[in-house]
Amino acid sequence: MADAAAIGRALEVLTERLDERTAAFLNACVRCGLCADSCHVHLADGDPASTPVAKLERVATHFRRYRTLLGRVAPGLVGAEDLTDEALQGMLTAAFGRCTLCGRCALTCSVGLDPSAVIRFGRTMLLAAGLVPKGILANRDAALETGNNMRLSREDVVETIQWLEEDLRQTLGDPAVRLPVDEAGARVLYALNPREIKFFPLSISAAGAIFHAAGESWTLTSTDFDITNYGFFAADAEAAGAISAKVIERAEALGVEELVVAECGHGYRTLRWEAPEWLGRAPKVRVVSFVEKMAEYLADGRIRLDPTRNPLPVTLHDPCNLVRNGGVIEEQRVVLRSAAAAFVEMTPNRAENYCCGGGGGLLAASEFAAQRVAAGRIKADQIRATGAKVVPSPCHNCIDQLMELNRHYKLGVEVKTLGEVVADALVPAPPVA
Amino acid sequence: MTFPSLVLFLAFAISLASFAVLRLGLGRRVAAPFAPPRASAAAGVRYAFTTAFLPWAKESARQHLTSYVAGIVFHGAVFAALGLLVLSLVHVAPPPGASTVLAVAFAAGLACGLGLLAKRARTAALRAVSTPEDVAANLFVNAVLAAGLAAVRRPALLPVFQLVGAALLLYAPLGKLRHMLFLLTSRRYWGTYFGRRGVRPSPRPLAGPRG
Repeated sequence: MADAAAIGRALEVLTERLDERTAAFLNACVRCGLCADSCHVHLADGDPASTPVAKLERVATHFRRYRTLLGRVAPGLVGAEDLTDEALQGMLTAAFGRCTLCGRCALTCSVGLDPSAVIRFGRTMLLAAGLVPKGILANRDAALETGNNMRLSREDVVETIQWLEEDLRQTLGDPAVRLPVDEAGARVLYALNPREIKFFPLSISAAGAIFHAAGESWTLTSTDFDITNYGFFAADAEAAGAISAKVIERAEALGVEELVVAECGHGYRTLRWEAPEWLGRAPKVRVVSFVEKMAEYLADGRIRLDPTRNPLPVTLHDPCNLVRNGGVIEEQRVVLRSAAAAFVEMTPNRAENYCCGGGGGLLAASEFAAQRVAAGRIKADQIRATGAKVVPSPCHNCIDQLMELNRHYKLGVEVKTLGEVVADALVPAPPVA
Repeated sequence: MTFPSLVLFLAFAISLASFAVLRLGLGRRVAAPFAPPRASAAAGVRYAFTTAFLPWAKESARQHLTSYVAGIVFHGAVFAALGLLVLSLVHVAPPPGASTVLAVAFAAGLACGLGLLAKRARTAALRAVSTPEDVAANLFVNAVLAAGLAAVRRPALLPVFQLVGAALLLYAPLGKLRHMLFLLTSRRYWGTYFGRRGVRPSPRPLAGPRG
């Protein structure tokens, strides 16, 4: 429930904080509806309220009411509505429950606007009204207070990495393998999603094996390592900037040349593309995805892969924030073609790939869990159509959603990170002449 | 200058001034980006204003080819009507034979405009987001095309075409027709976003594995 003060704060966002880009989008939309079939949520539920234009309209109707002449004098003519509690509740369902901000609609818009940018602005209005889902805010606050969204202590991190290092040495039979932590002067800082430490440590081992095989000078960090950013999902630019700053400043303090972002779609997007705008400066380190790094190692001959070690048919899920909004499109394909014997593309793929349904912070918004799984049917159908048995995705949010879709839709596939597929295919490098 | 020509001239001036005011008051300026580009913003903008219009460039056009063609024909006719209005102000007659071409263009545009309106009425997803102004703006533009059609068939009706056109120009900055300006701004931002990130026009080629 939003009281008058909360509604006033949301209205102030609309009247005072709208930027030129979003305002242009709001003015340009002609409600042609050609974006409707681009949205996985609408394709899954068939509800007219789930089309991108309907979600954009949740903001646009108030834009017209308060920021256009006709909306002020003849609101009924132009479909302009007052901002009320009921309107904000509708906006909440549209901007969170029905939208992952995947941006697929932007690529199909006939006018050439980005509905997801407008819907994100709606999230900013909801933030001001105190209506952002609590799960997203809890993760944001944890990251701001402790440096990571799972409130892992430095000891938790160090102990887990030490255990992983011993395990990796045994697995590879190589006592020289290291998972270095907090080593100033390393060339590369590999920053993690805290879920890897708590639930998916094998993805850290896989990265360690790949860095070792490539002969990379690298380090992990026991503090400020969290590449996730729930401030971004909450459309809270101030918090998002503060969260990203922790990681970037840690990389700069360690003196590395490159900040390699582990497999996390929105983590890459925020650190590579959004953080410089929030911070008002470019990082002093090169920000690069682990996917790009693996492709570089392959191109430079620093790692060698034997695709027969991954004999099962493999498909690829393209994370929206890494691909459509991040520009990392071909690297994962170069890597997979080298790492797997039978790589099958989904249809559609690359920038036009469908969202898995778990984006936009929805995995942390339990109140929309049923809609999230239902919207994932489009992705489940895509996977099933490939006949693949292994589904790598370079994003831990996507992996969580894909694992749930795997159970719910009985897909019978194995969901992995790209790094795990690559690590399974690693062969010893040829001796240096 | 005839009275309708004077009204049309003033309407052009007022409309352009109104659009300028709208554009200047659009909102907080977006700062120049700090993130180093992955590819070319300029290439993205060029794409947004050229090949992105091609029927195979976007999924929406590929899947809704009839609507795409109707939209192209409709907007082509509108541009032709605006061109004819400008020519009428400077007393330049269309070249010989152009009348027939213009008549066909206006008739086709009118048919497509009404077709798009019918689509809006019968499609649930479109009805859900439609406002009375969606209908009004469509009919307004169609009225201009009808007046243009009448004027090229019977030149004596040119003053009517000019007055209807003037009314449209005065209305354009107020309602959804203002997309004629903001489409340009929107596409520039769209092209910049996807161009800098290397998503459009196409991802950069990559070297394969070595060794």
